[in-house]
Amino acid sequence: MAGSQDMFDAIVMADERFHGEGFQEGYVEGSRLGVTEGRQHGTLHGAKIGSEIGCYQGFAFAWKYLLHSCTTEKDSKKMKVLEALIGMIEKFPYDDPTYDRLHEDLDRIRGKFKQLCSLLNVQPDFKIRAEGSGLSF
Amino acid sequence: MKDSLVLLGRVPAHPDSRCWYLAWNPAGTLLASCGGDRRIRIWGTEGDSWICKSVLSEGHQRTVRKVAWSPCGNYLASASFDATTCIWKKNQDDFECVTTLEGHENEVKSVAWAPSGNLLATCSRDKSVWVWEVDEEDEYECVSVLNSHTQDVKHVIWHPSQELLASASYDDTVKLYREEEDDWVCCATLEGHESTVWSLAFDPSGQRLASCSDDRTVRIWRQYLPGNEQGVACSGTDPSWKCICTLSGFHSRTIYDVAWCQLTGALATACGDDAIRVFEENPSSDPQQPTFSLTAHLPQAHSQDVNCVAWNPKEPGLLASCSDDGEVAFWKYQRPEGL
Repeated sequence: MAGSQDMFDAIVMADERFHGEGFQEGYVEGSRLGVTEGRQHGTLHGAKIGSEIGCYQGFAFAWKYLLHSCTTEKDSKKMKVLEALIGMIEKFPYDDPTYDRLHEDLDRIRGKFKQLCSLLNVQPDFKIRAEGSGLSF
Repeated sequence: MKDSLVLLGRVPAHPDSRCWYLAWNPAGTLLASCGGDRRIRIWGTEGDSWICKSVLSEGHQRTVRKVAWSPCGNYLASASFDATTCIWKKNQDDFECVTTLEGHENEVKSVAWAPSGNLLATCSRDKSVWVWEVDEEDEYECVSVLNSHTQDVKHVIWHPSQELLASASYDDTVKLYREEEDDWVCCATLEGHESTVWSLAFDPSGQRLASCSDDRTVRIWRQYLPGNEQGVACSGTDPSWKCICTLSGFHSRTIYDVAWCQLTGALATACGDDAIRVFEENPSSDPQQPTFSLTAHLPQAHSQDVNCVAWNPKEPGLLASCSDDGEVAFWKYQRPEGL
């Protein structure tokens, strides 16, 4: 009698068991897909940020070279802001996407870049993104 | 209570358009108004009436949202939706646009001079606040671009005596900034409003700040220095700002502007329900938890939204207001007896 009881139990519990197994399989599959999707998303966004900062860096280096021989007081002010921007770009934690002030620092770099453009009287003729700040790539 | 605010005069300042903002010159003799007609008008008295002394029409391609006089009274700055800020130099009754400040990505919403006159702040829908330095040759140089707000920045004002800058935003917060090693940094965020913060005003001492909002309240914030007796926590050497009073239940629509009279301490508001209200602090209330009484309420001050209220800096009780109806009105406020 005990055996048949187990059998009935097995039938009654089957729904729950299969539900659990299905959940496990689905969870594994979902995690795998999620990781892939997340990786793609991260790669895309990381590349966007990298290319934005790279653009600022190239801009800064080119102007540093151009201003190299200028020595007026005005130029030294520009140079100071230029050096500040380069310093911020160098300090940016490229290897640590979990850094909690990532966006704050990025916004500070964007601000410094805009200030530099204003001082140099250069219109950053990049297309402006719908949401407002920075450049579009 | 009705008699405490008496109409002195009314002028169609920006006909068929909106009048957005008003600014008294430091001497209190001239009032600048700006509007959707892209013009700035300068008003002065002749006898008992207010007349237009100058029209500044060349300069902006779109709505002029705000104007501000320099502390010396010789310059006027105007912020426009055309993404630029113009600096006008006054030569007797004439004004000449001497500089156009560019840099904001879109609509400039507000402009303010620091008390020293050496610094200027602008803010924009591009979410940024810019600080400009003025040199002896009237040249303006950007000293900082602050991206602390997450939305449209509506208003900027300076502390009455220190180089402390405050901004109000569509992100429901107020932020304060100070200089630190060649750059400017956000040193405080005032959270509490439940919707857009439209305008700000410091009290005469600069220890308290009033903010008004789309949430139909005015909040009074007080500065607490590190090591204060009241035990309000501060982080590091920066003072902290705490909301010590909320004026709620008085306004039935968005409050667009708040003005704290530097002479009398009366607080006026401009509201989307077409009314002007004046509040006074109850002298017997606890300075840590002050209470304010409504001392004047003019329900139909204008026929549409009231956009701005401005106390004359020299004549106590002289208040100017402007509205979406394009008019500017002048009022005499009398504090009710027994307060």
